[in-house]
Amino acid sequence: MKHDDPKLIDSLAAEYVLGTLAGRARRRFERWRASEWHVERRVQAWEERLVGLALRLTPMRPSPHVWDQIEKRIGRTAAPGSGPTHSTLHGGHRISTLRALAASIAIFVVIVGGVMAWRATHPALLALATITNPNAIAPAWELRADADFRQIRAVARGGARPQAGKSFELWALPDSGGAPVSLGLMPDSGELTRTLTEAQRNALLGASKVAVSLEPTGGSRTGAPTGPVLFVAERARRA
Amino acid sequence: MAPNKAPNLAGETTGSVPEAEADDVELTQLIAACAARNAQALRQLYDRTAPQLLACMVRILKRKALAEEALQDVFVSIWQRAGQFEARRGRPRAWLMSIARYRAIDVLRAERAELYREAEIEQLPQLVTEGANDWSGAGRSAAALARCFDMLSADQRRGIELAFVDGASHADIARATHQPLGTVKSWIRRGLASLRQCLER
Repeated sequence: MKHDDPKLIDSLAAEYVLGTLAGRARRRFERWRASEWHVERRVQAWEERLVGLALRLTPMRPSPHVWDQIEKRIGRTAAPGSGPTHSTLHGGHRISTLRALAASIAIFVVIVGGVMAWRATHPALLALATITNPNAIAPAWELRADADFRQIRAVARGGARPQAGKSFELWALPDSGGAPVSLGLMPDSGELTRTLTEAQRNALLGASKVAVSLEPTGGSRTGAPTGPVLFVAERARRA
Repeated sequence: MAPNKAPNLAGETTGSVPEAEADDVELTQLIAACAARNAQALRQLYDRTAPQLLACMVRILKRKALAEEALQDVFVSIWQRAGQFEARRGRPRAWLMSIARYRAIDVLRAERAELYREAEIEQLPQLVTEGANDWSGAGRSAAALARCFDMLSADQRRGIELAFVDGASHADIARATHQPLGTVKSWIRRGLASLRQCLER
């Protein structure tokens, strides 16, 4: 979208926030919003103008299982009523550059419980993560791995659009805070199964997150992510 | 980073409601702690905002079970996107509510045929009736929004409310108000424009 008419942008932003901008126009606008700061600002202004309408609804308590599921999906536990300590509240400095990069793009992650996701067609490979863009209806990829992480399979689900002259590359993000380790390229369509090297396997075992970055065709030439990080996903924990 | 000197939103420049400001500050801190991977902070954020977000999602999705499933997606998304919030420097409740509304609208559009077939009507969250405290949760700009919303025509108010609160499409609004689609589209567009104009005064 190349329109620069502030009035048009503003009326699209208003209808997007209202929810009446629908279908393909809505998807297109979401991509535009994610890439253009001035469009995002218009959206934000409308969100803040209208939010009061929704805040007038009588609140409704969620069932207890909802939080249990959230905990499972983020791979952490937190007891109700116990707050963060002062130091952790302000401990945001260690967020890696990679995560900061990722933060510039809308990320949405679905974690798949390992045992739940056995597939009859691939009995040897357990679900590892589902990599999803919130603005897409379909997930981007499903990742699977065998029980001891020697082999991984990425299945393209259509939620990531291939770009000419670019490749999607998968990275393990070590919990130690060390440099991301490449796990190879992701398929634009179909699926790709790959046997990991010992170094890749160790990196994956030590990483609770994986990321996908946009790289030149054939992958990063430097061994580190060079393009934008488009997706970050929590990897399912194995019992 | 792009300049963060946002144009002031109407109603935000004058007056002061300390509780609303304290709420903004605390929620902003909790979101920052989520970005630093503090799960307790997410839990606190959940305790403080999930009932409100759920009410909005049930109103759009009409079924509590479906809305609760989508609410999980919302909090996983908040956990993942917490780092983005800092850059935008907005009001946390607007950010959180938007994530919830967009998710509910996406689920609704993807599943609406099924929703209407099931036609299972549950007790839906209601808009609290007119009165002094109606807009209290909305913070500083609430009074301005209430005043400007009141200046719209009844049709415009109804249409905007159906869309924003119930996730209605243009076609749904046309059906509900017995108006041609084109008419509905134009009075919503005009309604939004007047709302903006009024709020910026």
